[in-house]
Amino acid sequence: MKISFAKPSLPTEGALVVGVLEGRVLTASAAKADEASGGLLTRAMAASRFEGKKDQTLLLQAPAGLTVARLLLVGLGKPEKLTALTAQGLGGIVIAQLSNSTDAQVTVAVDGTADFAANVAYGALLRSYRFDKYRTKEKKEDKPSLKKLVVATEAHSEAKKAFVTLEAIAEGVFLTRDLASEPANIIYPESLAAEAKKLAALGLEVEVLGEKQMKKLGMGALLGVGQGSEKESQLVTLRWTGADDKEAAPVAFVGKGVTFDTGGICIKPAGGMEDMKWDMGGSAVVIGLMKALAARKAKVNVVGVVGLVENMPSGNAQRPGDVVTSMSGQTIEVINTDAEGRLVLADALWYCQQQFKPKAMIDLATLTGAIIISLGDHYAGLFSNDDTLSEQLSDAGKDVGELVWRLPLDEPYDKQIKSEIADMKNVGGREAGSITAAMFLKRFVKDTPWAHLDIAGVTWAKKDGPVTPKGATAFGVRLLDRLVAANYEQK
Amino acid sequence: MAPEIVFAAAPVKADALAVGLRPDLKTAQSWIAQALAGKHRFKGEEGDVLPILTPDGWFVAVGLDAEDDQDACSLRRVGSALFAELCDGGIEHLCLDMGLDMGLSPQDSAELAYGIALRAWRPSDKYRSKLDPDEAWSLSKITIVTSDVKAAQTYFARLDAVATGLRYARDLVVAPGNELTPQGFVTRLEELFPLGIQVEVLDAKALRKQGLNLLLAVGQGSTNPPLLAVLRWNGGKKNAAPLAFVGKGITFDTGGISIKDGEDMEEMKGDMGGAATVAGLMMALALRKAPVNAVGVLAIAENMPSGTATRPGDVVTGYNGTTVEIVDTDAEGRLALADALAWTAKQCEPSLMVDLATLTGAVEVALGKKRAGLFTASDKLAKRLMQAGEDEDELLWRLPLVDFYDEGIKSAAADLRNCSWDDLCPDHLQAARFLQHFVPKSLAWAHLDIAGLSEAGDDEDGDEPLTGPGPTGFGIRLLDRLADKG
Repeated sequence: MKISFAKPSLPTEGALVVGVLEGRVLTASAAKADEASGGLLTRAMAASRFEGKKDQTLLLQAPAGLTVARLLLVGLGKPEKLTALTAQGLGGIVIAQLSNSTDAQVTVAVDGTADFAANVAYGALLRSYRFDKYRTKEKKEDKPSLKKLVVATEAHSEAKKAFVTLEAIAEGVFLTRDLASEPANIIYPESLAAEAKKLAALGLEVEVLGEKQMKKLGMGALLGVGQGSEKESQLVTLRWTGADDKEAAPVAFVGKGVTFDTGGICIKPAGGMEDMKWDMGGSAVVIGLMKALAARKAKVNVVGVVGLVENMPSGNAQRPGDVVTSMSGQTIEVINTDAEGRLVLADALWYCQQQFKPKAMIDLATLTGAIIISLGDHYAGLFSNDDTLSEQLSDAGKDVGELVWRLPLDEPYDKQIKSEIADMKNVGGREAGSITAAMFLKRFVKDTPWAHLDIAGVTWAKKDGPVTPKGATAFGVRLLDRLVAANYEQK
Repeated sequence: MAPEIVFAAAPVKADALAVGLRPDLKTAQSWIAQALAGKHRFKGEEGDVLPILTPDGWFVAVGLDAEDDQDACSLRRVGSALFAELCDGGIEHLCLDMGLDMGLSPQDSAELAYGIALRAWRPSDKYRSKLDPDEAWSLSKITIVTSDVKAAQTYFARLDAVATGLRYARDLVVAPGNELTPQGFVTRLEELFPLGIQVEVLDAKALRKQGLNLLLAVGQGSTNPPLLAVLRWNGGKKNAAPLAFVGKGITFDTGGISIKDGEDMEEMKGDMGGAATVAGLMMALALRKAPVNAVGVLAIAENMPSGTATRPGDVVTGYNGTTVEIVDTDAEGRLALADALAWTAKQCEPSLMVDLATLTGAVEVALGKKRAGLFTASDKLAKRLMQAGEDEDELLWRLPLVDFYDEGIKSAAADLRNCSWDDLCPDHLQAARFLQHFVPKSLAWAHLDIAGLSEAGDDEDGDEPLTGPGPTGFGIRLLDRLADKG
């Protein structure tokens, strides 16, 4: 879909979208369309329940008095509550309502700021994502008809400029969604590493460690998870050096990348196991985020580290009760081979700190089922050793509509992961399952300000969201891009 | 029997003399310091208790931790650890001489005593026909030396009121379901009369008349009918709006027609933990003659399967007119509470309302047994409760209460359904939202899901450090403090 910005004028073809404020207050463009059509909008609203409340819509087919094929009225709610998220939501609604309408073109007439217009386009772009490469026989009427989206605004040239940055972020989001959507026979540790390597074209330095090198570094925790699989485990580092001071300590992002998680010897029940293809969601977010930051040439030093493994049962697989030694030297009793993500992260976090001495470190992982019970699919779980970082993440989440909720991370929960034989065990029981997982990770974090995002509940959506079609959400890319922009980037 | 605790101005002759030590191991009893230095695990840290037999009798070294780390809660834990260690070792009279030596104020001494009083509880002997003499407590008297006996006694009387309320609540929680039926619960409430608490009971007939049909639906399968008990303490200004505390009191929860698995079902005798906390809190307020008006409302029912039980799919109209499709008869606590909350808000017109309930397994998945789930729309009330929890070592953690979670409790047949069937759903968040539909928006209200906290875990790490094994009376101390701060 091609997105462009133009001066406001009533289009003559395709679909037209106008906004209406709460209380049936027409925006300037809506008023213009109303006038041109001899009061059609006013009559249509009076004949319906449409009041201009946020996200309400009213679709008029072949609107009399106008030459467009369709006219869509979208409620914007109260004028004092118009935000970037309202604009993105408007863009999302346009796609949801019109992408299959047979119209090839839609014009969204926006009467807000350049920023508002850019965010309308951004929302539409984010919502227009489809993962359809494996459909070989999709009927034409099932494919989107929409080819062109025009955002009409007085401030069209500023809007176009503002959109460049947003489009870069969307590129990162799309990469993340692609990677998470790909099946596990296509995306496995080496092929995912190869995808990361492609980002070198944007100026990222990408380094890949194989099993031999990881063994040398002593990453027994990560390697144990991958040992049942035929696929070789990988550790990928992506570096973006965008700050003027090339030596400045970076912000680090660490991702769990279990490209498929069968559970290993503690194998999962078969029902729904296909979802485990996106158990590399954390790593996909890190890779997509790095792409977004590079694409928008962020003035900041950032490093991404992803631990990539496949967790399979086999004659060579890790057994429950095995004791592994992590890169940090700490030993772990593997009670449950299906609590593998934390083992991967343990070594990835340690490596990241040793290698890069980051000024802040955030990891993302589809880590626990308990977080889905704890918070549902509305919030990601946030665990942190740093109040400031927590607030920054919480604020960034509210700004972009990717919400996090902080959960406790302190001593009383540490007892649950005491092992009878090693320094710790990898599960702490049903109670407080997400907290004990975070406590496990905390043992691999030094003094670095650190946050852990448990994204198991928010990585895959069963239903369409405002700017996220159902499926892979890429939750975290926009959040962390905002975190960087608001707190770590040179102005 | 709980031991007698007295204060004295000077050490008295006893079977054992306990002295306090800090990590520097400095003490007037220098021989102890020498004996311990570097040769023993005893480090003077909080909770360290080491009895030493000397030619002069028992000496007990008690770790107090560094002075900087000492606060009311740490002193209580020291008292608790001391009692746990010495209660059944043969010592009958213990003299605690650490007030002067360690610079403990009379108030500090009272806190130590409070720790002992909180720990000195166990299930009544009446449930056993034969007592094992080795398990009986030998420790029957504790004399605490303090610089100002009168002041210590005054402080302790205030704290002991709460300890007494706590013991009462714990007795209620361990009482088996055949003793503590709904009517059995009412009988136990008679103990509150002499303290000046007015007890009003709405029986099933009154509930029907007033329209508390959700509470009735929970109890309708049982031959022991449900009831609503209303406890009033009017220690404050006449006509001042009361603080309201509402408790879930399912005296036994089989799950009803949606019956639970047999394993561990006996634990469901404790599904009235919220109501027990409210009753214990009211007792504490009355005993200390708290200058507040408070009302405690207990939603009491027994959830049984039978020919008259509520069926999954039944639609019932609650006290506030909201209709509920009961899809799972084992999500009954929220039904009982819904009516109790709506009734309390309307009939008692409180200035604020807090409910407690052993409501969901999901809150244990989320927060485990270290913190209770706190749900409120009021940031101010959240802050006050969190702070009271911190001060009293009864920790809370705020969880989301947003309309997003209404999704899971939408019904095709009624205004709401009582839960979602999705295994991985955030049941505790949905339950809290469910309750919110029965509380007027204008009323400051908080819901505490104490499912993980009402009773201590049964593994060795599960003991609550202050109250030990078994029921904890969770919420009494924190709400007593909330009431205290007005």
